[in-house]
Amino acid sequence: MTILIDDLESRLAAAAPAGIQYSSANNAKGVTTAWCRLADKEELLPVGALMKAIGARLSTITIFQPKAPAAPAPKEGETPDAPTFFGGSVASDGKSYEIDYHFDIDGDTLTVVVHVPNGGDVISLTPLFRNANWPERELMEIYSVIVRAHPDPRRLFLDPGIEGAVLERLIPFSTLVNSATTKGLWEKIMANKGSQS
Amino acid sequence: MSNFTIPIGPLHVALEEPMYFRFDVHGETVAGVEIHAGHVHRGIEYLVTKRNIFQNLVLTERICSLCSNSHPQAYAMAVEEIAGITVPVRAEYLRVLADEVKRVASHLFNVGILAHLVGFESLFMHAMEVREMMQDVKESVFGNRMDIAAHTIGGVRYDIDAEGIAYLKDKLDKMTPLVAEIAEVFRTSNSILGRTRGIGILSHADAINCSAVGPVARGAGVDYDVRKKAPYAAYDRLDFAVHTLPDGDVWSRAMVRLQEVVTSMDLLRQVLDALPEGPTTATKERPAVPPGEAVAKCEAPRGELIYYVRIGDSPKPERVKWRVPTYVNWDALTIMLKDAKISDIAIIVNSIDPCVSCTER
Repeated sequence: MTILIDDLESRLAAAAPAGIQYSSANNAKGVTTAWCRLADKEELLPVGALMKAIGARLSTITIFQPKAPAAPAPKEGETPDAPTFFGGSVASDGKSYEIDYHFDIDGDTLTVVVHVPNGGDVISLTPLFRNANWPERELMEIYSVIVRAHPDPRRLFLDPGIEGAVLERLIPFSTLVNSATTKGLWEKIMANKGSQS
Repeated sequence: MSNFTIPIGPLHVALEEPMYFRFDVHGETVAGVEIHAGHVHRGIEYLVTKRNIFQNLVLTERICSLCSNSHPQAYAMAVEEIAGITVPVRAEYLRVLADEVKRVASHLFNVGILAHLVGFESLFMHAMEVREMMQDVKESVFGNRMDIAAHTIGGVRYDIDAEGIAYLKDKLDKMTPLVAEIAEVFRTSNSILGRTRGIGILSHADAINCSAVGPVARGAGVDYDVRKKAPYAAYDRLDFAVHTLPDGDVWSRAMVRLQEVVTSMDLLRQVLDALPEGPTTATKERPAVPPGEAVAKCEAPRGELIYYVRIGDSPKPERVKWRVPTYVNWDALTIMLKDAKISDIAIIVNSIDPCVSCTER
C-alpha cells in the first residue's frame, strides 16, 4: 500500500505531451485510485512504457461505447458543436469507444483512458505487457476496433464463424443458442438426419 | 523419437471444466502448447448491462462457483465507491468472514483434487471430508453450500448470533488438527513429493512477466496479496501473514494454499472474537446510486479480482467489466507446461486452480 508515486502526474504529462486529464483520490483505507485521460490515443505506448518503468502491472483492459451526452436545445440561428471527448478529436456520439487500461501500482490503481472512433484502431501494448495479449484479442471480437501490431489477432472466445462486434448488435437469445425453440432444434436435428421413414 | 500432437479437451476426464489444449509432443516431452478457449462463453458482460444495479449482485455471484463470494463483493465495493456509501464496521467483519469461509473451502478442494490426480485417493477423500465441514458451515450460516449471497450494496445480507459463533468456533477447532495433518502429509509423503516437487516450474521473473496473481504468483515468490496491498473490508484491522514460497513448482503452489487455509481459519477466529456490534447495512432502504465510475479489487481464492463499474443516468450500468485471477494465469500455465512430461499435464493444469467459466464469462 503506497500512495502511488509523488510525481506521477508530471511524469505522465511528460510522456503524453498532447495533454492529459489527471485525477486521484484516496479511500478511507489509504488505497489510491487515479485516472489519466489521454488527449491523443497515439501516446498510449509512451505512457505504457512509463508504467512498465515504474514497475506497474497491467490488470486488465475495459472497452465500451459511452452514451452520447444529452444535447441542450440549440439556440436560434446557431448550429451546436458536436460533443467530443477530451482532446477534441473523437466524437462523443455513442458509437466511439472508450478504452480503459487498468494498471496496478503495488496495490493502487491507475486507469489510463483513450478514446477511439468507431472502426478506429489503437496500438498494442503487448511489446511492454505480455498479458495485454488476451484482453486485446477480446476487445477486437466484441467491438469493431483494431489493435495494431498485435502478435496474434485471432478470435479468443468467439468462434470465427460468428460475425464480429457482438456487443454492438442485439443478438436474440434463440440465435445465440442456435435454436429458436425446442421445436426448432428438433426440426434441425431431423433435417440433418434425413427424412423419417 | 517421434513428434506428434495430442489434443486434450474440451471434454476430458482430467479437466473439471471445458478447455481445449493442443500439445506438441516430442517423445514423452511437451514441446509447446496452444490453448483454445470459449466453450462456456455465456455473454454475462452483456447481460449485466440489461439488469439494474441490485439485480447484478445476484448475476455476478453466478459467474463462478468456488469464488462466487468474491464477485458480488468486488462489484458491491465499486458501486459503494460511486455512491459514497460507508459500510458499517460489523458488516466489514462479516464480509471477511464470508470471504475466508469460501477461501478455506476453495483451497481444500484444489489440494484434494491434486491428491486425486497424484493417485493418492485416501488423501483426496480425507481433504474432501475436511472441506465438507466448511460446506456444512456455509449451509448452516448462510443457508447455501456454494452461492452464499452474503453481500448487498452497503453491507451484508446475513448476521451471526452467539450460537452461530460458538458453532463456527467448534468447527474450526475440529478442522485445525485435520488441516495440519493434511499439510504434514504434503510436506513429507514421497507419493506427493515425487509427483509435485520440481514439476511445472514458473520462475519469479516469469510470474512477474505474465502478471500472474494469487497462489500461482505467491508460489513463485511474488509477495502480492490484495488483502495487504490494497486493504478492504476489515483486513486493515486483522493480523495475518502473506505466504510465499520460492520454487514455483506444483508443490509450492499447493503448500501456499495449505498455509493460506491455516491463516484463513485464524482470520475467522479473529473475526469471531472481535466482531463489533452495530448494523449490518449502511441504509435500511435501497441506496440511491448516482452516475459515476469506479475500480475495486479484492483477493479471491485464486488471486486478484478486479471490477470496473460505470453507471450512467439509467439504473442499469453502462458497463461492468471484471478480470478474474485465472484469466492471467493461463499464460503462466503455458510456461509451466513447457518441457513437462505427458503424465504430468493434468497435475500442472490443476496447479493453477483453473476456473474456465470465470475466465470466459
